[in-house]
Amino acid sequence: MVKADTIVALVIMAIGIIVLVDTAMLGSGWGMSGPEPGFFPFYMGLGVVICSVFVFLRAFKTYKKEAPGTGKRLIAEGGLAPILWVLIPSMGMVLLTELIGLHLATVLFLMFYMRVVGEIHWTTVILVGVMVPLATFIVFDKLFLIPMPEGLWGKYLIPF
Amino acid sequence: MDILSNFIMGLGVSLEPFNLLVAVIGLLLGIIVGVLPGLGGANGCAILIPITFVMPPEAALILLCCVYWGALYGGSICSILFNIPGEPWAVAVTFDGYPMAKKGRAGKALVLSSLSHGVGAVVGIILLTFFAPIIAEFALKFGPPETAAVMILTFSAMTRLGGKSALKSAIAIFLGFILASVGTDIVSGKLRMTFGTVPLMGGFNFIVAVIGLFGIGEIFLTVEEGLKMEGVKAKVTLKDVREAVGDLIHYRKILLLGSLIGCWLGIQPGGATPASFMAYGFAKGALGNKEKFGEGASPGIIAPEAAGHGAGTSATLPMITLGIPGSPTMAVIMGGLMIFGLQPGPMLFKEHTAFVWGIIGSCWVGNFLGLIMVLAFAPLFASILKIRFGILLPAIIYVCAIGAYAVNNRMIDIHYMILFGVVGFLFKKLDYPIAPMVLALVLGNMAESAARQALIMGRGNPLIFFRPPIALPLTILALFLFLWPTISKWRKDKLAK
Repeated sequence: MVKADTIVALVIMAIGIIVLVDTAMLGSGWGMSGPEPGFFPFYMGLGVVICSVFVFLRAFKTYKKEAPGTGKRLIAEGGLAPILWVLIPSMGMVLLTELIGLHLATVLFLMFYMRVVGEIHWTTVILVGVMVPLATFIVFDKLFLIPMPEGLWGKYLIPF
Repeated sequence: MDILSNFIMGLGVSLEPFNLLVAVIGLLLGIIVGVLPGLGGANGCAILIPITFVMPPEAALILLCCVYWGALYGGSICSILFNIPGEPWAVAVTFDGYPMAKKGRAGKALVLSSLSHGVGAVVGIILLTFFAPIIAEFALKFGPPETAAVMILTFSAMTRLGGKSALKSAIAIFLGFILASVGTDIVSGKLRMTFGTVPLMGGFNFIVAVIGLFGIGEIFLTVEEGLKMEGVKAKVTLKDVREAVGDLIHYRKILLLGSLIGCWLGIQPGGATPASFMAYGFAKGALGNKEKFGEGASPGIIAPEAAGHGAGTSATLPMITLGIPGSPTMAVIMGGLMIFGLQPGPMLFKEHTAFVWGIIGSCWVGNFLGLIMVLAFAPLFASILKIRFGILLPAIIYVCAIGAYAVNNRMIDIHYMILFGVVGFLFKKLDYPIAPMVLALVLGNMAESAARQALIMGRGNPLIFFRPPIALPLTILALFLFLWPTISKWRKDKLAK
């Protein structure tokens, strides 16, 4: 937990520094007509850097004091696997969406997750996996005319 | 008298058949969203915003507000029957709500909680109805320095209310402002922090951030804990209602106190969570020796529920009058308003009187209808949680993806959503508060232009933020709120030595 705290503080500090550099190049001072475009984000970045230095120092001090292996874990024991089982398939769904469109990607995602992770019976898997995306397709794309992403090949796969 | 006639007109607007239908649909969706883990009011509203584009603005706003009220009611069902608080402010309810449900009085616990919600709501709406016009009138005198001062006050109050560490709250706020400023600068039109990439030019939409941070992040938290649904069966009988009403009358002082605490803290951003805990604490302090708290005592349900809903309702007040949302859900609703081209703030009262009073009227109607719906169908809503999590989870992610995409019809937003989900998970774990970040993201443009205009007015002199008569006390109060806990801690340390 504390280790993660220090790392996250460092990452945030890095973001702050990137913001500082970028806005300083844009101009963060007083221009012809008042504050320049980089003015406001520059000071926000400054705030981030200052605060994250303090957070980092505090976390680092606790980390030093802590005997190795005794600290509280960031993710509870056995908690990482289920998170990855959600994260990786959903990232896969997003990538598939680029290719075959959101609704079709969801059919695969729903079925995969229900069957492999949820261990749900095949009939339910197929019923839910087809009905839910179909229902949303009708509601969004057809009724409310809000087009969902169809990906590269989507328009050939759903021709109606 | 002006208020009264406006109010009656507003009630008329909200009682039109179409608006009434929209309200019922909104409440239904809101309760479902509130009951489901991983989705909350903020998410529900964020996902529904694209659908509201096809509606007239009044109906759209009524829909969003009713989702909010519904989620407030529905959140308690989840915490009482399953001991899973759907939202942070519902944690205090689980202390006594779940034990009471386990003792076989789930029905009574549900009735108690919804009735307390109702009372909290009424107190909040009375406040809204009578004070909103006054505050709006006052806020008309605001110039850029005053608006900036209100922003400073808002965010400095939030550093103390948000999480455990004020530094981390401050980081969350700064990051929110930075995210808001990515893309085209509103004043000069220059591109900021895009690093030459096209996707960053469009900036970050706060709705996507809300869906990712609250929705996806919450799902990660839920699966990490290995969600075990051990629900208590609920059935609401007439006896439950009778007893609950009796308890409410018996503990009327606690009820009123809870509602008032809720309303008072709810006006400040992020106030609902501390309000519910504070109300619970007060009830415990007042009745601690008479009642067994933690084992299903009625006041332990009444106080936090009244406070939570009171806070939720009174969060509408600063949103409508000052354009500063008091909670993440309100921030989303305000975003919806802005999409319709309606800038929340004092001018809204002047220019769109019917619209504003329509919303206030619908607060009354929506909360009343919500109460009836929860009382009548609580077991039905609770049965949603009987659906296996393996089915709910991918479906929730799907709905979130639709919501994220539909805001701007940009594919990149779905990628951002997953990214924000991971960030939300890490932030929750490491005690970085999320709500202030979302509020900063929503208010970013407004705060920035106010600060810049104020500085131009003052020719670069930051003393303009201390301009009397209005900005001065606000900024001083902000500095005081920001610095006081540090000073008092320092003094205590010094005295201890």
